[in-house]
This record gives sequence, C-alpha cells and structure tokens, in this order.
Amino acid sequence: MALKRRKKDLTFLEKIYIPEIAKGLALTFKNMLKPKFTMQYPEEKFIPPPSYRGRPVLVMENNGVERCVACGLCSRVCPPLAIEVQAAETEREKERYPIKFEINMLRCIFCGLCEEVCPEEAIVMSKDYELAFTNRGDALYGKDKLLTPVNQLQDRIDFLRNYK
Amino acid sequence: MPKFVLDGKEIEFEQGQTIIQAAKKSGITIPHFCWHESLSISGNCRVCLVEIEKMPKLAIACSTLAAEGMVVYSESDKALSARNAVMEFELINHPLDCPICDEAGECKLQDYAYSHGSGESRFNEEKIHKDKRVPLGPLVMFDGDRCISCSRCIRFCDEIAKDPQLTFIKRGDRITIVTYPGKELDNPYSMNVTDICPVGALTSRDFRFKARVWELSSTKSICNGCSRGCNINLEVRNNQVLRLTPRQNEDVNSFWMCDHGRVNTYKFINAEDRVDSPYLRRGGTLTRSGWDEAFAAASSELKSYSKNEIAFIGSSFATCEDNFLLSKFATQIIGTKHMDFMPHFDSGFGDNFLRKGDTAPNSLGAKTVGIFPGKGGLDLEGIIKSVKDGQIKAVFLMEDNLIALRPELKEIFSKLDLFIVHSSNFNETTEIADIVFPASTYAEKHGTIVNFEGRVQRLRPAVATFDVDRALEGMSLSRWDKFGTKFDSWAEGNKRDARSSWRILAGLSGAMGHKYRYGTAEEVFMDIAKSISAFNGLDYEVIGELGAKLKLDSVSKPAIA
Amino acid sequence: MNILQIIIFTVVKILIVVTVILLAVTYLVYFERKISAWAQNRIGPNRVGWHGALQSFADVLKLLLKEDIVPDAANKPIHTLAPIIALFVSFTTYAVIPFGPNINVFGFSVPLVVADVNIGILYILALTSLGVYAITLAGWSSGSKYSLLGGIRSSAQMISYEISMGFSIGGVLLLSESLRPVAIVQAQSGWMWNAILQPIGFITFLVSAFAETNRLPFDLPEAEPELVGGYHTEYSSMKFAGFFLAEYANMFIASALIVTLYLGGWQFPYLDHLGLSSGWFAVISVITFAVKIAALLFFFIWVRWSIPRFRYDQLMNLGWKVMFPLSLLNIIWVAVLIMVFKL
Repeated sequence: MALKRRKKDLTFLEKIYIPEIAKGLALTFKNMLKPKFTMQYPEEKFIPPPSYRGRPVLVMENNGVERCVACGLCSRVCPPLAIEVQAAETEREKERYPIKFEINMLRCIFCGLCEEVCPEEAIVMSKDYELAFTNRGDALYGKDKLLTPVNQLQDRIDFLRNYK
Repeated sequence: MPKFVLDGKEIEFEQGQTIIQAAKKSGITIPHFCWHESLSISGNCRVCLVEIEKMPKLAIACSTLAAEGMVVYSESDKALSARNAVMEFELINHPLDCPICDEAGECKLQDYAYSHGSGESRFNEEKIHKDKRVPLGPLVMFDGDRCISCSRCIRFCDEIAKDPQLTFIKRGDRITIVTYPGKELDNPYSMNVTDICPVGALTSRDFRFKARVWELSSTKSICNGCSRGCNINLEVRNNQVLRLTPRQNEDVNSFWMCDHGRVNTYKFINAEDRVDSPYLRRGGTLTRSGWDEAFAAASSELKSYSKNEIAFIGSSFATCEDNFLLSKFATQIIGTKHMDFMPHFDSGFGDNFLRKGDTAPNSLGAKTVGIFPGKGGLDLEGIIKSVKDGQIKAVFLMEDNLIALRPELKEIFSKLDLFIVHSSNFNETTEIADIVFPASTYAEKHGTIVNFEGRVQRLRPAVATFDVDRALEGMSLSRWDKFGTKFDSWAEGNKRDARSSWRILAGLSGAMGHKYRYGTAEEVFMDIAKSISAFNGLDYEVIGELGAKLKLDSVSKPAIA
Repeated sequence: MNILQIIIFTVVKILIVVTVILLAVTYLVYFERKISAWAQNRIGPNRVGWHGALQSFADVLKLLLKEDIVPDAANKPIHTLAPIIALFVSFTTYAVIPFGPNINVFGFSVPLVVADVNIGILYILALTSLGVYAITLAGWSSGSKYSLLGGIRSSAQMISYEISMGFSIGGVLLLSESLRPVAIVQAQSGWMWNAILQPIGFITFLVSAFAETNRLPFDLPEAEPELVGGYHTEYSSMKFAGFFLAEYANMFIASALIVTLYLGGWQFPYLDHLGLSSGWFAVISVITFAVKIAALLFFFIWVRWSIPRFRYDQLMNLGWKVMFPLSLLNIIWVAVLIMVFKL
C-alpha cells in the first residue's frame, strides 16, 4: 500500500497539540455563555411556518360543509395507504361527498402528496404536530377530527397558491 | 388474404372489414368513441380520423372499408393534429368534474385527453349546461353535461336490446339524450349502456359512488343468474363484491349481460346473514360450533340411520366439483340411491337473447356429474313423498334454498329427524335444519359450472375466506389487498369461515372414516374428467377463460331446457 | 487519645467522607449534564427539582427500578463482583487523602484525613491498579464481544498510563521526601505548589489521570459509537449504576489526588500568616480544598465536551512515546531542582 503523504507537514506547535486543545476549550467555554436555543416544549410551543407539513386535515367551508368530493385521488396517491375514502351521494350541487374519510395516522408519512394531488384544495397539511396515541384505534382520524374551518388553514392555502 | 399497410405494418383483412376492425384484429387500436364492435357504424365522433394515401382528405377508420394495397397512417402528423383538434372540440363543453365522475379511471375521454389533448382549453365562453342527474331508468343515471353524443347507448337499445327507448333531441351543442315520452330505460339489458358509454354520462345507479374503479380487483368468473352462464368480471374491494361487469365471450354472451345478473346475483355474498361457521341445533336453536365438532355430530347422526332412510339433494347452484363429491359421498359412503336436485325454472324469465328460463347456473352440470336417483332410488318428488310418509328420516341438502321456492315443504321437512344443510346464508331452509355447514358462494371458490348448452366454464375466487387466502391462492389483488394488514379497516373486509361444499364433504367423510385425497378443486375436477365420459380430456387449463364444450351425446338423459 | 476514641473519630470521618463523596458524585453527574448542555447552547435538565437539581436522584431511582438483566453467557459470580470491586476501589482510595488541617474537637487534635498512613501514595497506586480488575473482569465475564473488547482496551490503557502516572508521582515524592499525603501537602505551603515547580510532571499526571478515569478523550473502554458501551454493555439496573457511580467517584478522587499532589492540597497560600483562629483556619482550608477540586472537576467535564476521542493506536503512542519520556524528563528536572536550586 502506497503511503499517502500529507500535503503539508504539521508545525511544531501543531504537533504538540496543546494550543489546539486550548482553542477547542476556549470555543466550548465561549458557547457556555451564549444564549440558549432550547424551547421549553409544553409551555412554549413551536409555531411552524406555512411551509410546514403537519397532520393532514380536511378543509371545512364556512357553511360547515367539506370541500372534499371523495374523488379518492389522495387515497390513490398516498404512498403508505393511509387514507380511506368512501363516497356517497348528496343533494348538494357537488353531488358527491365523503361519507367516510379516514386517515390512519400510524401510516401517514406527512409527505403531502394528498394535498398536492387534491383537485379541490380540500385536504391540506395543517400545523398540528402533536400526535400521540395509546392504541391503534385512536390513530384512525375520521371526519370528526379532520374537518377544520377554512380560516384556520388560510396560511397554508395561501402558501399553496403561491408555490404549488 | 388481401392486405393493406397501417403505419408501415402489413395487415391482413377480410373483404368487407373496415380499417378499424382489421386493425383491431391484428392488435392495433385506433382511438374511437362511437364505434363499437357489436353496434352499427355511426361515425359521429370523428376521433378515428386516419390519413390514407391518395385520398384528398382524412377519413374515419370506422366506416372506411379496407382495400387491397391501401396505405394508412394513424399516427402521422396530419392524423394526430386532426385527432388533437377533435379532442379539443369534444372537451369544449365537457365538464372538468372527473373527481366526481364515476367513470374516471375507465373513461375513454380521460384517456384520450391524456394522450391527445392539448392540456389546456382555448375556450373562454361559458360551457353549455344540460340536465344533470337524470334517472333514465331504475338502474341508469344520466348526466347531460358529460355526454359526447356518440349514440352508442341509442344504438344499443335499438340493435341489441331490440327495445328502442332512447333518442337524441335538439341540435348542435344543445343535443342531449332522453327517453321517448312515457318510456324509461328499463329493458332487461339497460345497464349495458353504462359499460359502453365512453364517458361518465351514463352510470349505474347500483354502483354509483360506491368505489373508484382503480380500487377494485377484477376476477374472471361466471354469472350465476341463469343457465346462460354469462362471462363476467367480479369486481371486489375490501373483500366485498361491488359490481359485476360482462366479459367478452363471443360463444356465450358477447359483450353483454342482463340487469338481473348484474344487480341481483352478488348482494347475498356481502350480506350480513352469511353463515359464518358450522352451526348445530341445540335445544331448538342453532348454535355456533367448531368444524371438528360439527363433522363429528353429522357423522354420528348419519351413522344412526340405515342407508335407505337417508336422501341426498344436490344443487344446480353448486359447482360440478361439489355435486360430484356429494354423489360420491352418497353412493360410496352412505350407500343410498335416493338422490336428486331441485330444478329452478321460471318461464317468465327467459327471452330470446341471453336470459334462459332455467334460472340455476349448473343444472346440466349437476346432472352430468351424477346427481340423479340410482337404480330403484327416489327422485325429488319421491323423496318429498317419503319424507312425508316418514320412510326417509334424514336429508342431506347442499346449497339450495328449497323452502323459499316451495314453502309447502317447510312443514314436511320439519318432520325430519336429521336435516343437514350446506348454505351460504341463513334462510328459510336453515331455519329448520339440524346441522348447517357454511358453504362458500360462487365468488369464493374454484370450480366449474356447465351452462345450458353444455359449455363448462370456470369460477375463480374473488372474495377471500378462511378457506381461500387472497395472496396464497393467487387471487387477483388490488393495491389495497396487496399492502393491507389485519389492522386496516379496508383490507380484509369481512373474511368468513366458509368452505367449498366439496371440502366440507371431504372433511365429513374423513370424520366417517373414509378419506378423499383431494387437496384442491382442480384435483376433484381431474377425478371428474377421469370418471365421467362427458368431461374426458378436460382440465382447468383447457377450460381456460372462455370455457369448453362437453361431449354431451354421452349423457343418457338430456338436460332440462 | 485511646483506641476507642480513635475508632469513633475514624468512623465519623468515614461516614462524613462517604456521604460527601456520594453527594458530590450525584451533583457531578448533574453538572456534567448541565455543562454539556451549556456548551451546546442548551439548557440541560431543569424539570426535577429547582433547576433540575434533583435530576440525579431521579436517575438513581429509575436505575433502581429497572430490571437487573444478567446475560445467559455471563459468568454470574464475577459479573456481580465486578461493579462491587469498582465501587470498593474508588471509595477506599480516598482514605489517605487529607482534606484539611488538624482541628480541635472536644479537646482532641484530629487530623482531617481518614487514615494518615506513611505509605499513602503506595496505597493509592496499589488501589488504582486494582481498579483495572473491575473493568477487565466486567468485560470478560459478560460473555459479549463488545464488553470483552472494552475490557481489553481498558486494561491496556490503564496499565500504560499507570507508568507515566507513577513516574510523575516520583517527582513529587523526591521534592517532599515522603510518601505521606499529609507531608506532601505540607511540603507545598505558600506558592511552592508542585504544579508550578514541575509543570511537565503536572501535565503528564493530569493526562494520565484522564486516562485512568476513562474520561474523554480517553474513554476507549466505553466508546459508545463503536463498542455499544464497552465493558458495561451487558450491565443494567443497580450494577450499571455501580459502574456509573464508581466512574464519577474516580473522577472526584483523581481531582482530589491532583490537588493533593500538585496544587497544594487544602492549603490557601499564606493563610497561616494572617493569624486566624484555628477554627476559621480549618473552615477556610476545607473550602479551599473543595473549590480546588470543583475547579478541576469542571475542567474534566469541560475537556470531555470539547475534545474528540483518541484512536486506540494514538492513545498507545501518546502513552508510551510521549507521556512516558516526558515523565522521565520530569524526574530529571526535579533532580536538577534539588541539586542545583537546593530545594
């Protein structure tokens, strides 16, 4: 094996190593006095920017009706198959609506493809990142948990309109 | 054979064939909306325009006869730009409601919009609005906005169903489809228009919004609505049959099937009242039991009667395999000669197109594999009479709801000391049964059935049970089936503990000390092919997807009409 | 003083020393976490007690409640013995280290050292050598390759650095002309600290102390990224806590030893010239001792969070080719001090 020579030999000061150690120690000591980045979680909470992809939710219009027409594209595109949609007929002008819309949060990978594929801007990624369950059943989010008033999601919708 | 050149490829054709027909024969599909192989040529959609050398203008491939030496280009720049222009026209007034439309995923307009559309519309004006959600008939819903006026449905009613019920009204872009005054689209074949409609204008009210078509797995099977044996696809999601669609078989049903078969022959499979395990009657009520327990009970009960006190009733709804094993069980293990099956005949049902008066799918098959009285044995009426007299004390009934058909039998059969029934659902017959075995439906097992003209065709499982596993059995899998787990509410549906009747009989004979060495339905069929001359030389491979004819001259008794 | 009184005073001193060490160790762990957090711009434990002050007690409670797992492949008696040796060694070493001047209690003059032994330094060397056994036996008896590698590394490391450590102490002994820790402390009165007189010896001893206590940059026996935890991979619950405790106790004792040998022990320079009462003198001395130890402990922790781990061959190179010659050089330097400067 050919020995690879260093480009530049170390100077004596570098070789005795002690000044370098001192530099390192000085750096860490300086940092000890700097302000801290820690966020005191349950008391202080991180408010994500609009580009954040939290838990996917369904947009609920001001009249209390979901935008979703149960086309099933989100369900089709979902890589981990987290979304289940069952359509049904309604008397409203958009004749189709989801009688069941369930996201299995244990499967969801927060990729945002559902939001990207949605033709109705009906499913968007919220800022909710607090997801903890104690059993599998709790992780199934039905319409009751998914429907979110549109004004709470305006941030994200504006972001999507600008960048999608 | 004469030849012409299509896109640089020599294609053989028969005199009188159009370009599109000849192309289809040799595996090239020229885009089309209004043309359908079984319908007359209308030529109104213009999407099949092709360039033909020495012709001044483009011609539509569906109505231009192929001629010797013709040179046709279906993918030339000229043809493509014409097709793109036609697509732009078709899309002018077509709504962008694919997310709502049931046809999405199997829509010709959608497909061609992808392959030939310009991707955006230059049409700024308001689209024409027509009537939406019009129920044309009890089973078909019409959406005027989506209609591209190809007239396939009108031609179908006129030419195939022979019952003109639909027509165009108005002109130009206001043209729409209505039923004739005072009529509705209610012919027995009306739902075929939803299959041939190239867009989502005509949709099935039965299937409407139940599922997206890409979520379904499709299994080639046979309709069990009558003895025609129409070839069908069983379309399943979450282990539930959601719709049946006809499958082309020129020898049986061409592209079509009747509404009865489409709507009424699958719901019992998904029903809540399915028998989901063996049941034994204890203290007057049917109670759930295990398989071994039920086999032991049935075996010891059967052993306590002399062979002449036991009668067997096979089924024209069960497969040949099931009936064959029942006949073997009756003759070899029990030794009785009293054996027959119930005919199901409805004179009002048959017509001169597809529907047959014999409303059971496998009467001929049951008879051919040996469900008939032995020498000196009793036939069905004889059995009923002897039950009444008390000479026959035990009846073994396979997959037939006798009492629904003949309610007067309820009182008679209640007298029986032992009434063993294979049934897929709880019904009038199981009410008086002593032992009920859960039988798989036709959508849950491999098997063969024989139609009225002696064509043996294959059933394939589309719904998984404890007996047939979707992955292990090689059943068709949707993406949902493939990746589902037992923790998902959409994967395994209601998987039931039902078995094919032949397997139940094999288990029961094992309990009676006689082992049949069949592992699969195919092995039973091999035995049928060996021992019954009409089936000689057949196997599952030979039957394939389109069926095979039995050598029926060797059957002593001809089938009922 | 009769024998009984000596025994009573000794027992009281032992109790005080053990309690102080245990408390010091728990807070050492706490400060290790705090200081590492600060160095990384974090806050560190702040939930249990005031500013997280009870965190270590919570940790101990957690370890106590954990399941004690002994691997099937382990040699069970030795597996159990190893942490006991580790703890035993680290606590007993402290016996000979003086932590203050003599004080008067009920009319008796009591030295603030558990055992004023005239071969104290030899005793310390003997016990720290024994400490290798704890780690080696733990590594061997676990029946796991990671543990065994950790054990082998640590025995090689500790034996290597013990040599330079011993030679460094040689310089101190030459100057103080005694093996008694109390005499060594007294020999460093005023500013005559060994750290000032023989800086090379101080540095080699300091570096060897890092190696002997398995602290970063010499924590090869544990080396989490490569050995999963080294010799204590297979330890859980209280046995693991034993090693953990011993490790931090060792750190405390190493600091105390460095203070005693090189930094003037409990002495505050020229404090005896101020004419304080003997009570105040003792109090200030003990506090001085504590502050010196605390500063060294901070240094230990500070180094850990600043300097990456050495490679094994670098460690051996440093030990044999640098530290060993340097410590010999130090002895020559001390000889020069004695012969030329008549110290």
